[in-house]
Amino acid sequence: MERDDLKLQIKENIIKYLNLLDTKPEDIKDDEPLFGEGLGLDSIDSFELIVMLHRVYGIEIKDPKDGRKVLTDVNTMADYIEQHKTV
Amino acid sequence: MGVISAIGNSVAENLVSLREGKCGIGTSSFLDSKYASTLPFGEVKWSSEALKSELDIHTKGITRTSLLALHACNEAIKDAEWSREELSSSDTALIGGTTVGGMCLTDELYHDSKAGENGSEYLTSYDCASVNIFLQQHYKMNGIANTINTACSSAANAIMYGARLMQHGFAKRAIVGGFDSLAKFTVNGFNALHILSDKLCKPFDQKRKGLNLGEGAAFLILEKEEDLNGKKVYAELTGFANSNDAFHPSSLSDEGDGPYIAMKKALGIAGLQSKDISFINVHGTGTENNDLCESKAILRLFENIPPFTSTKSNIGHTLGAAGAIEAVYSILNIEQQEVFPHLNFENGITETNLIPLQNRQQMNVRHVMSNSFGFGGNCSSLIFSKY
Amino acid sequence: MFYIYQHSCISPQQTFQDIDLNILNDAEEGKLKVVETRYEGIAPALLRRMGKAVRIGVGAGLPLVKENPDGIIIGTANGGMEDCIKFLDQIVEYNEGMLTPGNFVQSTNNAVAGQLGMMSRNTGYNTTHVHRAAAFENAIMDVDMLLKENPSNRYLLGAVDEISSANYNIEILDGSYKKEPVSNKALYDSATAGSIAGEGAVMFLAGISPQNAVARLDATQFFQAADINIVIDRLRHFLERHLQPGENIDVLLSGENGDIRLQPFYDAVENELPQHISVARFKHMSGEYPTAVAFACWLSAYILQQQSIPQHAIKKNASSETVKKILIYNNYKGLQHSFILMSR
Repeated sequence: MERDDLKLQIKENIIKYLNLLDTKPEDIKDDEPLFGEGLGLDSIDSFELIVMLHRVYGIEIKDPKDGRKVLTDVNTMADYIEQHKTV
Repeated sequence: MGVISAIGNSVAENLVSLREGKCGIGTSSFLDSKYASTLPFGEVKWSSEALKSELDIHTKGITRTSLLALHACNEAIKDAEWSREELSSSDTALIGGTTVGGMCLTDELYHDSKAGENGSEYLTSYDCASVNIFLQQHYKMNGIANTINTACSSAANAIMYGARLMQHGFAKRAIVGGFDSLAKFTVNGFNALHILSDKLCKPFDQKRKGLNLGEGAAFLILEKEEDLNGKKVYAELTGFANSNDAFHPSSLSDEGDGPYIAMKKALGIAGLQSKDISFINVHGTGTENNDLCESKAILRLFENIPPFTSTKSNIGHTLGAAGAIEAVYSILNIEQQEVFPHLNFENGITETNLIPLQNRQQMNVRHVMSNSFGFGGNCSSLIFSKY
Repeated sequence: MFYIYQHSCISPQQTFQDIDLNILNDAEEGKLKVVETRYEGIAPALLRRMGKAVRIGVGAGLPLVKENPDGIIIGTANGGMEDCIKFLDQIVEYNEGMLTPGNFVQSTNNAVAGQLGMMSRNTGYNTTHVHRAAAFENAIMDVDMLLKENPSNRYLLGAVDEISSANYNIEILDGSYKKEPVSNKALYDSATAGSIAGEGAVMFLAGISPQNAVARLDATQFFQAADINIVIDRLRHFLERHLQPGENIDVLLSGENGDIRLQPFYDAVENELPQHISVARFKHMSGEYPTAVAFACWLSAYILQQQSIPQHAIKKNASSETVKKILIYNNYKGLQHSFILMSR
């Protein structure tokens, strides 16, 4: 998959898994921090996104602390998926 | 008092286990979950069938939670030597805390929520109230009855509510407690939050990796001082308070605001100062968040930290039952003038370095503080005193 | 007991903001579902996670927590039941594998009180009573005691329960709802077993000063009984205790729900009271659910405030006299009973 398509797909899945009402994929910038500022996500959201990575891309993140690095922004997620994707 | 837990089916058995530093946590024999053999649980060592025959219960629709509650309640009523009339008097309140309630029957609930016909025998047993409604009917009780669910602080709030009903004259006496059983539902819920440890829990340890779920039930009999007539008194409930942490649905605020306010208010109600507390039964679940925030709140409140332990290292986190089981343990500390060892501890948390008591010790126990904090920010603290 | 200063109600009827009780909304497919609003006060970041029970509970409570109450006391039998079943679905679909925790966190009964506390940064007393159809009555008791302990305080008192696919199906299996199609407008005309499903969220701001009060909650009593004689006996004691000599009930707000099995209880209570008083009903508006009695309290407060009873609610004796005292009698499944007395 082309990187831009992958990033669009990631954004669509973020919106779907976190039920982000009224947010469109284009509202999420590639380098915008997902946690803290930016989208303002919290620890429960990070677990939801770890599950999303598992269900959609077959990627297993065992320690939630590692998850935070992967889930920094859409770019870091795309990097990680490209390197670890199993499905 | 009455109690059933992973370390014993009675107050006497629990006391022996606590003294011996026994850990009741291990693989589960009765839980229907794929984690039963891979994660450690503080399970009561009787199957539901064994409990039914022990309790001589043959009615349909009775859940494991109800059986555990009935077992502990029978022991407490027997201990208090209450007559049938006292039990069924409209002046006798029954207050229980629970979070799982009848939802221990996770698979049955799933079936009944989809079935077109042929519902199971448990249609009216899934909610939290089902347990106390069963006890009300079983004992033919006519006083105020209530069930409280403030997650892991449920039983502490139940004890508090019962005591307040008596203070305000809505009841002359009260049976107060809590109960919960292991459930596929809660196991998966806590697992999804990544706070279950695959090893024995290590409360207040730097290397703690989460909690172990447990199950059990406990009840206390509360009576007013003027009605004692020479009856045996274990302890006096002198302080209680409830506060909300108002921070996050499933974790405590960094400085432990809710725990701090609950402990401080409980001291105020008891008319005590922090230096008067002989011992703290901490909430101490073994999760990263709870133990750190609870430590910080304790450091904020106490100039000199009293000895403390978490009995969750013995029996796991029994959720809605925890506040009641730990109330029984706190009262045993007072009755026996003795404190019991905290298990699985190696090193204190770097940031706060509070060291739990790891040996059995005789000591002068006058006032014990028992903490219970839960999801939804619900924090409660109780104080039991030597009478 | 205490006074009510403000109230808020999200129900199947037009009870939130622009209240109009002359219109009676219809049930759809045997369910009286709440009319949801836009929830403008709830940040999208929070709203996205909320199931219906939490959404309507927080939606109804938010206008009142703005008044900075000293604590939050909620009654709910089931809390977020729909989230509970969504989490169960996940457990089954993924065979206890990796699951998302959002539904689990929202499914706990104390999610509404917790969320309201969090959103208003309220660190005061916070609890959730869940004793099925005595959940709201216990919440009333709790507030009564809190106000005796802290007379200058004010508390948020509320109740919430939702229709979820799970509890709807379970109640159908248990025979709680009518098997034949039923309109809420003809709920009381049927001579069959079962009622109609309902849901709602009701919130009150309560304190002991009569200043700026819209109504007063005088007393409550609740108990379990299967015998009509016990109910009548309790009613007599309740009225003896809480009515002054010469004082009378003006309206009986009866929890009749169209279930022929429960009608003897309601008839007995009605017959025990003076024949000239007005009798009104509310479950054609709210539907049947464990904390429906909170809707009756809201309706009573509104009647006392407006001095008019919606025409469709009146069973007998539409009186033009002043309504000073309302007695609510509710009965859940012939087992849990409660009386609540409210006055101007």
